[in-house]
Amino acid sequence: MSDLFNPTDEHRQLREMVRAFAEREVEVQAHEFDKKEAFNHALFLKLGELGLLGITVHPEFGGSGMDATAATIVHEELSAVDPGFTLAYLAHSMLFVNNLAVNGTPEQCARFLPRSCTGDLIGGMGMSEPGAGTDVLGMRTTAVRDGDHYVINGAKMWITNGCINDTELGDVFLIYARTGDHAADLSSFIIEKGTPGFSLGQRIKDKLGMRASPTAELVFEDCRVPAANRVGDEGKATLCMMRNLEIERVTLAAMSLGIARRCIEIMNAYASDRKAFGQPINRFGQIQRHIADSYGEFMAGRSYVYHTSNALRLESAGNRLDSDGVKLYCSTMAKNVADRAIQVLGGYGYVGEYTVERLWRDAKLLEIGGGTIEAHQKNMTRDLSRLPRIL
Amino acid sequence: MKILVTAKRVVDPDSKIQIADTQTSIELDDVDFRVNYFCENAIEAALELQDEHDAEVVVCSIGNEDAIQTIRTGLAMGGDRGILVEAEDEVLDGDLVARTLAKLYEQEKPDIFLLGKQAIDGDSNQVGQLLAEYLSLPQACFASNIDIIEDGAVARVEREVDGGIETIDVDLPCIITADLRLNEPRYASLPGIMKAKRKKIEEFELDDLELDTTLKVVTRSMELPAGRQAGVMVSDVDELVNKLKSEAKVL
Ligand SMILES: Cc1cc2nc3c(=O)[nH]c(=O)nc-3n(C[C@H](O)[C@H](O)[C@H](O)COP(=O)(O)OP(=O)(O)OC[C@H]3O[C@@H](n4cnc5c(N)ncnc54)[C@H](O)[C@@H]3O)c2cc1C
Repeated sequence: MSDLFNPTDEHRQLREMVRAFAEREVEVQAHEFDKKEAFNHALFLKLGELGLLGITVHPEFGGSGMDATAATIVHEELSAVDPGFTLAYLAHSMLFVNNLAVNGTPEQCARFLPRSCTGDLIGGMGMSEPGAGTDVLGMRTTAVRDGDHYVINGAKMWITNGCINDTELGDVFLIYARTGDHAADLSSFIIEKGTPGFSLGQRIKDKLGMRASPTAELVFEDCRVPAANRVGDEGKATLCMMRNLEIERVTLAAMSLGIARRCIEIMNAYASDRKAFGQPINRFGQIQRHIADSYGEFMAGRSYVYHTSNALRLESAGNRLDSDGVKLYCSTMAKNVADRAIQVLGGYGYVGEYTVERLWRDAKLLEIGGGTIEAHQKNMTRDLSRLPRIL
Repeated sequence: MKILVTAKRVVDPDSKIQIADTQTSIELDDVDFRVNYFCENAIEAALELQDEHDAEVVVCSIGNEDAIQTIRTGLAMGGDRGILVEAEDEVLDGDLVARTLAKLYEQEKPDIFLLGKQAIDGDSNQVGQLLAEYLSLPQACFASNIDIIEDGAVARVEREVDGGIETIDVDLPCIITADLRLNEPRYASLPGIMKAKRKKIEEFELDDLELDTTLKVVTRSMELPAGRQAGVMVSDVDELVNKLKSEAKVL
């Protein structure tokens, strides 16, 4: 029994397990943690017990040793009930854990991954800065070698899991910094909470959506990091960054899928029940268009995402066209589907109780985080210009 | 200690059920399947005993070849190995299921045979009791707590009965059926799912077991429950009280 979305029995069982967990334990807290803008640490630890935090990590380092499609499945299923919480999961498991597992030395992996796979450490990744987002190679944070250390100066902005509440930093981060004069002279470093010179600049509050994932500005002032914490060769981090952006974008697209699927289920059920002018509103052509268009677009996106994840090898780069493509298509698709869901529910859609209001707010982030849709259009067109024929 | 535990594959109760054209079974094409809830409780109980008493847990199911997935779920939760008896639902009734399980008992000689108290599809609530009868073993049905005492010779079982809890002792080997409040079933963790791939599942055909397969119960027809009647709006409390008295006759 295998299909595009569940290529093996293990994938299917994984989906069933995560869906059951999401419906029983994640759904119930989603509204509350969104309202109070809080990270649910206890729930996060349960993901560790289920083996989800180190989903792509080799069992030797405490992980589950699964592939890109397994990660895609988990993000789709969790996001169908709580995208905010899922974003915190993604920042930890994809941006920190998977990144280190693919690019770190065995010593670095042994030092940090086992505790990250259980959730004892909460991780994140810092690429964006106050002054450089899309133009990531314009980053200004610097790392200067000084004996056995690097001295880091600068700031990182919008870092998911940068803090876990208003005042406390997350535990460990992969931070990109400039180690040379050329635009691409970047290196990455493991930086732990408690390193002298590393502090929480601010917790970023009042986000439109994704409120269950904490976001922070991180500040580095003469922060001394042991040279042993450099991941990969000096000046060679751009490739690591590009490679990890691929799985990041595919899993962000998977989050859009979860949002879209849930919105379709909600509007479909509502439109069969709700009556107006003496009949269920799903008898009206305009409502039918909202529902049918949404389903068609969702399935197109879903097929594209799994087609891409099934081919994605975590250790290699070179899938940028489609890893950008799935996120470009699915982020806007899910935003539109959420919008239609609100429309189908009328006034009820506009309030929190019916969930689509929250999903609509969360959906918007996916057009920005992990690369804006304009960045995807830029990257894809550049890649396509070198591809005269589409096979 | 060895525990044999059942994992029946049933239609997910959240699926939309439709009756097949024959009117004697339900349409299985567009529905989801899952492990019977009560079987999940039985598996959880078996796994807790596995931890405490170093028991071997054997997960068994009777069903078509897809029931192997239900067994895998049990193995992913922590079961040690599995047994599938292949048979389509149409050729089974509760009695034949009990006699089939009795064969597995003879083959495995477990100390405890754990089952769900009933399956959430057929709701018959017969198999555990019939099995105990066929094997002449003590039974403890609707268990809400299980303790193994006297060095593994006796199971002390709390049963939910009308109006309270009854505590009984049954000698091992015995049959125990699980109620929902027995425990909170664990999830199959991801490492568990990966490990389950390598665990052994023995497969039999129903015919291999040399049973009399004549059914004692035959399904004649099925129909969906009548749709719910629309509610009525009342204009004030007096009207409500009136209706409760005269129409609903509850006051
Ligand atoms: C909730 C949240 C969580 C985040 N988590 C993380 C994280 O964990 N780690 C991390 O490193 N970052 C994170 N980010 C940052 C995110 O990746 C950036 O916000 C994103 O890359 C855009 O950068 P920017 O905000 O600086 O916008 P800018 O790059 O300044 O873009 C502003 C606008 O200009 C457009 N634009 C820019 N350049 C071009 C161009 N060449 N062509 C056309 N249009 C262009 C953009 O598309 C956009 O519309 C997060 C952001 C948010 C909001």
